[in-house]
Amino acid sequence: MALFLEMSAAPRALRWLLFAGASCLSIAAWGADLKVGVISSLSGPVSALGIPYEKGIRAAHARFPEVAGHRVELVVLDDASDPATAARNARKLVNEDKVDVLVGTSGVPGAMAIAAVAQELKTPLISPTPVSLPGPDHDWTVVASQPFELMVSAVVRRMKAEGVGTVAFIGFSDALGDLAYECLVRSAGELGIAVVADERYARGDMSVAGQVLKIIGKRPDAVFAGNSGTPGALPYLELANRRYAGRIYGTHGLINADFVRVGGRSIEGLEVPSGPVLVAGQLPAGDPIREASMAFRASYEKLYGAPPTDAFSAYTYDAYLVLADAAARVRGDAQPGTPAYRQALKDAIVSTRELAGTHGIYNFGPDSRYGSDERAVVMVRMEGGQWKLAAQPAPPR
Amino acid sequence: MKPLASRSLMAALAVAFLVVPLFAGTFTVSLLNEIGIGALVALGLVLLTGVGGATSFGQAAFVGIAAYASAWLTTAHGMSPWLGLPFALLLTGLSALAIGMLTLRLGGHFLALSTIAWGLSISMLFGNLDALGRHTGLSGIPPLAIGGWSLMEPRAMYYLVWTVVGLGFLFSRNLLDSRPGRAIRGLRGGATLLASVGADAYRLRLSLFVTAALLAGLAGWLYAHMNRFVSPSPFSVHASIEYLLMAVAGGLGSLAGALVGSGLVLALKNVLQDVLPWLTQRSGQLDSIVFSALFIALLHFARGGLMAFVRRWRRRHGAGRPAPAHAAPARPLPNRAMPARGTPILSVQGAVKRFGGLVAVNDVSFDLGAGEILGLIGPNGAGKSTMFNLLTGTIPMTSGRVRFLDRDVSGMRQLEIARLGLGRTFQHVKLRPHMSLLDNVALGVHARTRPSILRAGLRLDREEERRILHEARRQLDRIGLGDRAHEMAGSLPLGTQRILEIARALASDPFLLVLDEPAAGLRRQEKLALGNLLRRLREEGMTILIVEHDMDFVMNLVDRLVVMNFGSKLVEGAPAAVRADERVQAAYLGGTA
Amino acid sequence: MTWDIALILGIDGLANGAIYLLAGLGLVLIFSVTRVVFVPFGDIAAFAALSLAAFEAGRVPPTIGLVVFLAAAALLTELGSLVRKGEGRRIPRALLLWGGLPLIPCAIAWAAARAGAPAPVQMIASVLLVVPMAPLLARVVFQPIADASVLVLLIVSLALSFLLSGLGLLFFGPEGTRTSPLAVGSLSLGDGVEVGGQVILMVGTAVVLSGLFFLVFERTAMGKSLRATAINRVGARLVGIRPARTALLAYGYASLLAGFIGILIAPVTTMYYDSGFLIGLKAFVAAIIGGLVSYPATALGALAVGVFESFASFWSGALKDAIVFSLLIPVLMARSYMARHHEEEIEEIDQ
Repeated sequence: MALFLEMSAAPRALRWLLFAGASCLSIAAWGADLKVGVISSLSGPVSALGIPYEKGIRAAHARFPEVAGHRVELVVLDDASDPATAARNARKLVNEDKVDVLVGTSGVPGAMAIAAVAQELKTPLISPTPVSLPGPDHDWTVVASQPFELMVSAVVRRMKAEGVGTVAFIGFSDALGDLAYECLVRSAGELGIAVVADERYARGDMSVAGQVLKIIGKRPDAVFAGNSGTPGALPYLELANRRYAGRIYGTHGLINADFVRVGGRSIEGLEVPSGPVLVAGQLPAGDPIREASMAFRASYEKLYGAPPTDAFSAYTYDAYLVLADAAARVRGDAQPGTPAYRQALKDAIVSTRELAGTHGIYNFGPDSRYGSDERAVVMVRMEGGQWKLAAQPAPPR
Repeated sequence: MKPLASRSLMAALAVAFLVVPLFAGTFTVSLLNEIGIGALVALGLVLLTGVGGATSFGQAAFVGIAAYASAWLTTAHGMSPWLGLPFALLLTGLSALAIGMLTLRLGGHFLALSTIAWGLSISMLFGNLDALGRHTGLSGIPPLAIGGWSLMEPRAMYYLVWTVVGLGFLFSRNLLDSRPGRAIRGLRGGATLLASVGADAYRLRLSLFVTAALLAGLAGWLYAHMNRFVSPSPFSVHASIEYLLMAVAGGLGSLAGALVGSGLVLALKNVLQDVLPWLTQRSGQLDSIVFSALFIALLHFARGGLMAFVRRWRRRHGAGRPAPAHAAPARPLPNRAMPARGTPILSVQGAVKRFGGLVAVNDVSFDLGAGEILGLIGPNGAGKSTMFNLLTGTIPMTSGRVRFLDRDVSGMRQLEIARLGLGRTFQHVKLRPHMSLLDNVALGVHARTRPSILRAGLRLDREEERRILHEARRQLDRIGLGDRAHEMAGSLPLGTQRILEIARALASDPFLLVLDEPAAGLRRQEKLALGNLLRRLREEGMTILIVEHDMDFVMNLVDRLVVMNFGSKLVEGAPAAVRADERVQAAYLGGTA
Repeated sequence: MTWDIALILGIDGLANGAIYLLAGLGLVLIFSVTRVVFVPFGDIAAFAALSLAAFEAGRVPPTIGLVVFLAAAALLTELGSLVRKGEGRRIPRALLLWGGLPLIPCAIAWAAARAGAPAPVQMIASVLLVVPMAPLLARVVFQPIADASVLVLLIVSLALSFLLSGLGLLFFGPEGTRTSPLAVGSLSLGDGVEVGGQVILMVGTAVVLSGLFFLVFERTAMGKSLRATAINRVGARLVGIRPARTALLAYGYASLLAGFIGILIAPVTTMYYDSGFLIGLKAFVAAIIGGLVSYPATALGALAVGVFESFASFWSGALKDAIVFSLLIPVLMARSYMARHHEEEIEEIDQ
């Protein structure tokens, strides 16, 4: 009901008028604003990730409304989970809104589409989604997220430590599922664990009975799920239904409150990798990541009234931190809104050193799009509805 | 709109199109490119769904086949993108042919669902093949290049995209304005109508389906080399639905509707993206709500789409139809030589038709000689209509033989019998209400010429077209409607419609004319006119078989009568003798008179 | 593939098939009376499920606001048309019917959202809350264009479905929910095969509801008038049946079915704002197999789709939908052959 009151005509029109008036005033005002173009999937299948992304960057913007002496303006566009729309939005942001930096988006194909446009239009892009962009042709993009391989190899190492010899994979039949499977096979191969099944399902499926039956038939020591969000709970629910007794693992895509709620008792003991921000309170004092994470949580809580229940929003918060740090190091007297500024900004971004974010410490360089190292991953375990830092392997069942 | 005004409007639009990229930003140009690509797919839909009556929820799959084909060829095999075009079109065309042969015999709702079925299956296939990059798709597709000039920039692609769009529209317009086009416009009239003029509805629909698929394929090829990456999601059923929305919003009744619809949908989404953030923070989620609401509102005001609305508005403001071009002289089509009077034309021997346990036609035999009018009469339920359908090949006979011109046509389909020279009319008039009188009659000439869709689209059929229209005009003059050639058939009163149907049947140059209750529902004057027409035709050597109810009309007209009752033949003979026959009187009046 | 696996898959398939069956019946009901393929059917079911989840979480479901808004819109439309037809004296009745009646479920839901109402009350409230949705939507969206071609009605239906799922995203967010099960425990069929209590409830309810469906159609005057309108609209009017009113009845029944479906599957399936589309699509498949006219054929088709889907997912989870839909084509060919229709003229498009 409250929503409808929020959206009723009169207050909205008033806000419109006020906003219009204010912008007319502000246009004449200050020096160039730093414009940040944000593209995220606010609707469509990937919106479960996209909406937290938007929340995260707004939390960062609320905390640091000014960067390096410039006021920051956020322009947020929805790409409806479609890569072509994402690319079109990127073009729009650069050509029409004249943004200085792009941040986005929340699906891998979309992020790759934007990377191509960023390269063509020579605008720095900070992607909160892990994308694989081989070759030197994408030097305008950096990724403010752990590479997927890093996360998966952390899980696989934990599997090895907990005595797993065979693992079955179940994941989405989409880009995320493909990525998770490839990383699993690679890491497991290095450590001598056999991947005995590759089952897939669509996000919208109502049942995975067939797939889980096949997995149970292979009797694996563990099951690793490559999925995210509440649809990710489906395999675990079905495994519990079939009384599967082996270990269960997953990816960091599962970290959100709705997943925990839907998963219920079936995900007890689930181990997933995560950025440190999730268990910020359980990190040792004096850890720079802990500081950044607590600041993020405070800012988020202040803006939205409740602390964050997922780790995704922190990625765009980190993207903003990268941007702010780089903007402070921009050399020369180029002003925001000019191609020269974008070039300088990109140079500064690519030379980031030891920047403490919520998802790790970032060091970017010209050779790789990623800036995270092992400090960006911790293992967490689901215990009684809460994610607990699981620094040690679990005892045998 | 006067021709001059509309020509200068077109010229102005053309100039505007040419110079837009010079002034607009690359984002606007990209948007226009996307509109062009969407217009190509929507064009196929206007042809297939609007004209041909087959709703397709799978056009995006064809876009995908072409896009992936070209992408694969140019990335995995490093070939030139220009080679990707024939490869993509070939693959798309073959898939469309295979799918069409499998599903186009389905009717109505079954056909629509089958399009969802293969649309979904194909788009799933894209995401599951390793060679196609699975769900991440293929990226790094090389852009097109002419000579040394790369078409990577949206501005450069703009000209290519819109040239292709323009060519597509020209092809479609030529197609609709030709012999195959006339038959395609007749598809909604039903397979029986088309079979009666010797056209195969299934093959027409198949060709139309492949044409629409090829248009979508063109769009796919352009898409691949414009965006330079492909992934499965833009080719899903959702995308197909969006193309259908474009076609409906623009107007399925006209080719321009495709362009207008594509522009409307894409521009609206763009505008919403700009405007909504001013009103609320949650604009991302409001986009689809506002868009859908506006779309529904549009269809409330203009059911036939925006173009239908424009047409109505123009008509209301006295735009009037463009004056028809003066008919160019043409060589008449060759006519069949009529057999000498008295030669046996039709011979029915022992025809039997059973529907389950009911015997509708029970061992009926009669003959018909050239140059005579035979009437087939009988009370209700006598089996006349069934006999009629057996003759024309509309339904198969249980047993018995029919000979037409010395050939055994007992098992033949209506289509084939029509091509042999049997012209027919229908009890419930089957005219195309939105086509002109001339076009309706010209439909009858279908079987006498040959131009195919390809020749028609490329405008190589002008000679045959002139001859067809000449013939159609001749038939119209023959029945006295020559001066109303460009009126819409739907505006005629029933009697005139029946006469028009006869003209259509005559246009096929038949040996035998078979009329199904032509006098039904006619006023007295109309009946007189019809009778005179038939008598004139007989003088010219035509053989006519009439199935009729109305004794008065038939008595003064026919040479011989065959009376049926309860499926069997009762009597046969001259009208006077038949009228006096007691059995006939008993059958009609139910007792001794 | 052993026998017990086949059994498990078969039961799973039947459970899903039961849902598609109910949804298919609703679709055929509406189409036969109004020529509208009511795609938003699935979305209404999703709204019922998500409202129930909201109740359980102690929140007031925004569905209430939507129903109130729709009631206002329908009332305005009705008043507008009454004024235009000059039937001013029917205004008070319209006010009561369109303005008053839909508010009753809203009031019940409002009360149920408050202090710990028991689970059955919450469920009944969820179902009742969505019952006005289809008739109100029909009054505002479909009745003004009731004589448009089937294609335009279908397109409008699709747009409406997008609108509703967009609203679902706005109201309930992108993440899904499950509600607490109505029936716990399970039945053992021996050899390690267990059938969940919820599944039994689903299939049982489907059987009971379809039985009731047939009964209503065969035995009651209302059911017969619905069938009459479906068979021949003009003929029905000639004997005093009002097509517009029977249409609203049909929509109301369908809404009720959708509500039941929603609360039945909410405990066993995670429901999202866009779950409606998939339910609607499978129901559409079942309805088409029934030729959009035959209820028994629709029921069979629905069960077949459910079972096929289950076995196909065992064979290949990623290609499950592709397999089911590819297998659909020969079924359609068989069905089309059996339903040989001689009247093959296609409707003209709207001009």
